[in-house]
Amino acid sequence: MTDTPAMAAPAIQAPDLTRTKNLDQWICWWSIPVFYNLFGIVFVYLARLMPPPSPGLTTDQIIHFIRSNATHLQIAIVTLSLSLGLASLSSGIIVVQMRRMKGAGPALAYAYLAALAVAALPGCLFCGLMFALAAFRPDRDPALVVLLYDMGLLSFVGSLGCFIVQYMVFAIAIFLDEREIFPKWLGYMSIWGVVTELLAIPIWIFRSGPYAWNGLISFYLGTIIFVVWEFCLVVSLYKAIKTQPSQEVLA
Amino acid sequence: MNTTDQRICLWLVPGFGALLMLAFCIFPGFFPPLSPTLSAEEVATFYRNNVGPIRASMLICNVCGVAFIPFFMVIVVQMQRMANPSRAFAYSYLSAAASGATLFALADLAWLIAAFRPERDPQLTMLLNDLAWMAFVTPVGFILAQNLSLALGIYMDAQPRPVFPRWVGHFNIAAALLMTPGAFALMFMTGPLAWDGALAFWLRVGSYALYLAVMFFVVRAAIDRQAVEEGATA
Amino acid sequence: MANTTNPGLRACTQGISIPGDTAHLPGDSSIWVFVIGEMVTFSCYFAAYLFDHRQLHDVFLQSQGYLSPNLGALNTLVLLTSSLFVALSVHATRAGDSGVAARFVGLGGACGAGFACIKGVEWHSELAKGFTLGTNKFFMHYYMLTGVHLFHVLLGLVFLGIMWRELSGPGSPRVRLVETGATYWHMVDFLWIIIFPLLYLLR
Repeated sequence: MTDTPAMAAPAIQAPDLTRTKNLDQWICWWSIPVFYNLFGIVFVYLARLMPPPSPGLTTDQIIHFIRSNATHLQIAIVTLSLSLGLASLSSGIIVVQMRRMKGAGPALAYAYLAALAVAALPGCLFCGLMFALAAFRPDRDPALVVLLYDMGLLSFVGSLGCFIVQYMVFAIAIFLDEREIFPKWLGYMSIWGVVTELLAIPIWIFRSGPYAWNGLISFYLGTIIFVVWEFCLVVSLYKAIKTQPSQEVLA
Repeated sequence: MNTTDQRICLWLVPGFGALLMLAFCIFPGFFPPLSPTLSAEEVATFYRNNVGPIRASMLICNVCGVAFIPFFMVIVVQMQRMANPSRAFAYSYLSAAASGATLFALADLAWLIAAFRPERDPQLTMLLNDLAWMAFVTPVGFILAQNLSLALGIYMDAQPRPVFPRWVGHFNIAAALLMTPGAFALMFMTGPLAWDGALAFWLRVGSYALYLAVMFFVVRAAIDRQAVEEGATA
Repeated sequence: MANTTNPGLRACTQGISIPGDTAHLPGDSSIWVFVIGEMVTFSCYFAAYLFDHRQLHDVFLQSQGYLSPNLGALNTLVLLTSSLFVALSVHATRAGDSGVAARFVGLGGACGAGFACIKGVEWHSELAKGFTLGTNKFFMHYYMLTGVHLFHVLLGLVFLGIMWRELSGPGSPRVRLVETGATYWHMVDFLWIIIFPLLYLLR
């Protein structure tokens, strides 16, 4: 039984590109490793926010962290400001692949896109803005700097719902998909993703221990699972694009 | 396909655009832009003395700020008519547009909150003011991604009569690049890259306004062509 | 027939035809990736608990006194019974008896729901006594471990529901699917068998 095209043909047929096939999808695919490498440089090396400093630091220690790191923090957030848009390209390619699924409708694909579009501000850029504000004025009231520190790291580690929705719709789509665009085990790994978000719930309560925002479980285990998941996603996307039948019309 | 819905979304641009221009002119902190070097007291005084115009302008922005989303969605619809291998760029355009709108909303909220209790501790007012300016000027990444997605889609639109002419792709990239200096405003308190500077503020705001104006006509032409090609009645 | 219209799952249905054929890994291979991953991650939670248990032995011992080992033991019994029912349903599915199998899955699911209710009662009584997630390190671990486990139980109920639908639907059921769900359910049970003594019994 041959693979039938997932959608009815639109008004304009996909032309025969003599250059690279599926160039648009490959561009979007490449944006993912590029973005995450930049993300790593920004958050781990420059800003030193991953792993995060402890919620238990005193006011003076927080001020010291910001001031001793101020220029690097600022460069990090400028880079983040310029590059966060790349994440939109990854949404684009994933929606295209999810729409190829048979048995899982487009609503799940659009939900994935929408959830990540929402996540951009509270889950990532908001943290950048808070630390940019903290680094901006050396003479800012220390209590405000502590507030910004809390707002930055709590939002970064503690934005849960948007990512839960992202993982959840992705997992559901994979399980419903009869064409196995993505392997089933990636769906199970996405369930782990949901669990890591649930495990971050206590960071809103604890300032130390394994369930604090820098804790062994809420942060480290969660981040490791996320990195593994992202890597598996990139590899699976590669395979999915590579094995697309050339006569398939994509939506 | 009936293009009425697209035309309505298109004409929201001049309609809401005019209101936003009005808000821009009313806001006392844009002519000239408030300097980052002002002390907390000076910032607090600014809010105390200008409560009316600040609230009026920012309430207009609150109401009208997301009104360009339908226009961007028209562009998404047009992108889906392009002869690209897939719709990946159209989807990424949609995502970037949605994310970008949230930043504008955040900046607007911060200005309004600062003006809500002008008698607040000046340090707090200054913090809110800082947040508003930074959220307004610095997050250029989503505009970059939006324009890049559209430009790439245009370049790969391989059909005899492409949806948008090729120069629109160049124009999108140029407009985005002209706005990128804004990202550096979170590092500088004076000079052209500060949030009140010529590059980070005026160039950014000016190019965005020009960009929207040009795209209005470009998209209008694309809708007209679509109506002719598909024999629509609207 | 249901199977032939699912090209993606065709490979997974090859164990269907021969009753008594046990020479294969039950369920599709991806569930085992999941199970092993879960074991590894839960080991991390257990390690964190044991570490804190050692550091704060007195607090833990004292707080543990407020738990109800009877309810914990009851829950263990309930979950073991549900696993038994699920295992019986797999056996029945392999023997081609999907009506019986569906009933067993239903019973297993009822026990699972019972587990969730008892857990709810238990939490309610502890919350009423004023013990919340933030009370101390013991209760932090307690609510987190039982909470994450409960999430897995609820997810398992969804899987059991899918199994039940498969078994009560028209046509012959996919054995692999039933085995996959059962594997997941047994894993959930196994995890509880470690959690129960760790939280309720460990001195």
